[in-house]
Formats: sequence, C-alpha cells, structure tokens
Amino acid sequence: MDPKLCAAAIVDGLKKAGIDFVATLPDEKMVEVIRAVEHDSALKHVPLCREEEGIGICAGAYLAGKKTALIMQNAGFLNSCNALTTTSLQFQIPTLLLIYYAGDIGDRGFTTLGSVTEPVLQALGIRSYILRKSDEIDDTLRGAQILAEDSKKPVAVLLTKSVLGVK
Amino acid sequence: MQRYDYLKAIAPEAGDALAVCTGWGAREWWAVRPGDGNLKTRTLGLVSSIAAGLALALPQRKVIAIDGDGAFLMNLCGLPTIALQNPGNLIHLLFDNGVYEASGGTATASHVADAVALARAAGYKHAIWVDTPEDFRAEFVSAWRRGELTLIAAKVDPGQPKNLPPLRLDELENKYRFMRYLEETEKKGILSPGFDSKL
Repeated sequence: MDPKLCAAAIVDGLKKAGIDFVATLPDEKMVEVIRAVEHDSALKHVPLCREEEGIGICAGAYLAGKKTALIMQNAGFLNSCNALTTTSLQFQIPTLLLIYYAGDIGDRGFTTLGSVTEPVLQALGIRSYILRKSDEIDDTLRGAQILAEDSKKPVAVLLTKSVLGVK
Repeated sequence: MQRYDYLKAIAPEAGDALAVCTGWGAREWWAVRPGDGNLKTRTLGLVSSIAAGLALALPQRKVIAIDGDGAFLMNLCGLPTIALQNPGNLIHLLFDNGVYEASGGTATASHVADAVALARAAGYKHAIWVDTPEDFRAEFVSAWRRGELTLIAAKVDPGQPKNLPPLRLDELENKYRFMRYLEETEKKGILSPGFDSKL
C-alpha cells in the first residue's frame, strides 16, 4: 500500500480511538504519518526536539482532558525512559506510544536498537503490540487506547514497515 | 534573597492560575499559594514541558511553570518546542540558585549559561532577568496582562525558610486533586469514568 494511504489509515485510527493531541519526532519511515497529523485540523500537533519532553507535554495535556499520543522511533522511546518512569508510570498517566520499530525483522541498520526495544518495554511494565497489517490498525489503536485509559499507563504500539507501506 | 521571597511577592497576583513546580520550590509555592491548582513534578527537567502541555490544552487558563536552573538546563531542548507553540497563557518562572538544591547542592552550569539569553535564542519573545521581588512581581503582572509567552528569571540564594508546612501529598493524590479541581473550575469531565461506571 502507498505510504500516504497507510498514513491516512493510521491517523484515521488515532482519531477513532479518541486521540486529539499528538506529539511527534520523526523517523524517516513515519514522515507521511507525521505530515498527516500536521495537516489534520482535528489533531493538535506538537513537534518535539527530544522525545522525553513529549512525555511531559502529553502528561500536562492529559491532566487537562486531552487524549494524547506520542509518535517516535524506538531510539526516542529509549530517550524517554526516565520520563516514562517518573512521570507517566509514577503519576499513572495514559499516553499512547506509537513507536517505529527500527531493527525489526527485515529492517536493516538498527539491529541493536531492535533487540532491546521489547525487553525495555517489558522491564517498564508497558504493554506493547506489534502492528503489521493495515486491516488491524483501527482495532489495535482503539484497543490500545482503551487499555491505556483503563490501566492509566502508557501502552505502546510498534509500527512496522509493512503497516507503514514503506521499504 | 531566596526563591521564597520572590514566590511570596507574586502569590497574591496568581489568581486561579495553574502552577507546576519542581524541587524544593514546590513546598514554598504551596505555602504561599495553597490549593489543588498546584502540581509537583517528579522528573527533573520536565516542569516546563508539563506546564506547556497544560497551557496548550487549556488556552484560556493561565499556567505558571516554577523552574530551577538544574531542571531548566536539563530540558534546554524543551525551550524551542515551547517557543514554536508559543502559548500566550504560559508564564515561565526561573529561580537560578546555581546549585542542584534538591539533589545535594552541587553546582550547576548556570554561572556560565545565561538562561534569559538561552530562552531568547530558543525563540521566547519575552525573557528578562529581574533583581528584586518587587520587580519580579511587576514583570509577572505585565506578563499576565500581555498574554504572551514570557520567561522571568532571578538569581537567588540557595535555601528555604525552615518553618514551611510539609507537603502532605503523594503524586497520585496530587494528580487526582489537581484533575478534580480542573473539572470543577473548567466545568467539564476530564477523568475517564472507566469500565466500573457501567456496572
């Protein structure tokens, strides 16, 4: 599928899940998703300089009633570990984490990053789901957001090349 | 002059503003402006980012970030992010005592790094050093009326008064009271009722 169509489906899924506030820091593979967020008037878009501040911005927005998502690469997830621990988990604040899974099977160049991603998510007690098929976008994002709100914790959805329509 | 002297000067002007605090400043702010509109952060550096998130979500409500030099320097990359969004309802206060006060009192790099220059370079249109609590109060009132993103900074002596009341809140009670206070004052539901509400 074309990356633009995939991006549109992901942004549509976010909105169906109730998300209205999105902080982002790009990976090359997610550029179309971030463009789609930027151009969607139903979403407040906050581009970041470093992912950890996005955890803070999303936490503040959540306290005031927003439903928040943070879009980043797994390197950015690792950058965010302290904030996830001492803000999101300690205050019990839900945030949907959309993480590009660099170093996933078939993704070259970041194998070390890929190998630590799921173990670190597990160590933090953050539940995660890998999204590979476009027909699972809506249910996965909606389910992950419900889980985040009910558990009052971040939930991660790992985005792969196939669901993003990129090579 | 210590941070407390400055906080005492602006508290009467803070109205129903939401205040996000870091480190020892939290206990001082609660002492001068008690209430559920105050939040104490736990992640060094994130006070300005959390305050910015609140300010973006509630553009009609004043939000104050009470920052310290250690936290400010740790989250320098947060400044351009905030400046890009330019929330006019955010007043960013910085008390620079030159040390990581809540972490044992060793020096920060603030004696070589000019916080006001850093904020301006990051895109803050209004950023100013102030030398006295009276001037701090005047700048705070101006920033409130102007309604544009502003950093007000002061060099202060480390330390705090010894007789401050203890903060009797953990982070969860702080969060829930803060959110309930917002629901009440913003007249909208915020906390998800969750599954139990359907039983």
